[in-house]
Amino acid sequence: MNSKVLIIIPAYNEEKNILNTYKSIVDFNKNNKTNYECIVINDCSTDGTKKILEDNNIPHINLIHNLGIGGAVQTGYKYAYYHDYDIAVQYDGDGQHDVAYIEKIIKPLIDKKADMVIGSRFIDKSLKGFKSSAARRIGIKVISAFIKFATGYKVYDTTSGFRAINKKVILEFASEYPSEYPEPVTDAEILKKGYKISEVPVVMKKRIGGISSIRALKSVYYMLNVCLALLVIKMRRYK
Amino acid sequence: MTIKLTLTLIIFSLILFVLISFLLNKGRITVKYALVWYISVLIILILSFFPGIFKFFAKLLGFQLVSNMVIVLLIGILFILMIAHTIMMAGQKKKTTLLIQEVSLLKKEVEKDGKSNNNNTRI
Repeated sequence: MNSKVLIIIPAYNEEKNILNTYKSIVDFNKNNKTNYECIVINDCSTDGTKKILEDNNIPHINLIHNLGIGGAVQTGYKYAYYHDYDIAVQYDGDGQHDVAYIEKIIKPLIDKKADMVIGSRFIDKSLKGFKSSAARRIGIKVISAFIKFATGYKVYDTTSGFRAINKKVILEFASEYPSEYPEPVTDAEILKKGYKISEVPVVMKKRIGGISSIRALKSVYYMLNVCLALLVIKMRRYK
Repeated sequence: MTIKLTLTLIIFSLILFVLISFLLNKGRITVKYALVWYISVLIILILSFFPGIFKFFAKLLGFQLVSNMVIVLLIGILFILMIAHTIMMAGQKKKTTLLIQEVSLLKKEVEKDGKSNNNNTRI
């Protein structure tokens, strides 16, 4: 049985990378006889992203107002739900992720061994590649501990944006998706609702761009927010 | 409580009353939200006309000065209104997000890959 797979690519001001990202998926489909469809969610970009999407006939949705990452990704999940896809893959438009891993990521879903699969940078230590800065790794570990505390399950790469979900979780995400800090929050919510998450080792590439001191302060605020959100999930009762 | 404080409170609540009525009349706020403010005004007015209630509660709650309790009371009312606003804001955000998503998805269906029938660019 062939599953209908949709790759959701949220994009905000990605004029430099979006075409390459799309081409890599098209080439992969050609070379491997796969049939991954993709949809770019243009989150009201202020640069030339929209023009590139239109000129190259890349399937896309233009949000009529900027929503931020959570709202943009959820639009993709809604699209997946309305068009009856079996599997939805969240995929970054900035060239961080490698299309070759999608097969590995969706395999546990096809085998019905998991409801959500996270492409993880940390579970296979022998794999090289970009593993984020030391400070962020500590942050990810703290979030991981909080998720364990909130749900009883261990998730290693809590903030990875490379993930795949099955039909049941598509419906969950299409109806309710957090607008802020979606990755760690959905990890915990999905576990709490009784779904199964598995992690698959992937290699990620380094994203271009530096980190300033303001970003450092922002990270602390991010951590506080995520930890609070996870504590709320711990308290909440899910059906 | 001094007669001056009573007068100040009455004038304050009257200004608030006039302001809310003005906004309501102009259609800038709806009755539902005006009511909360009217009730606040009413509470302040009742307490100003019957300072005995103020004195009783000030003594009961351990305030040394009645005026201190007035300030705390006003801050308390503001707190409740603020929390109500935060709740409303979160609800509004959810609704706008839903609207933006559904309209964007519909536009995609209608225009097929973002190309509209005429050359006018969308605003």
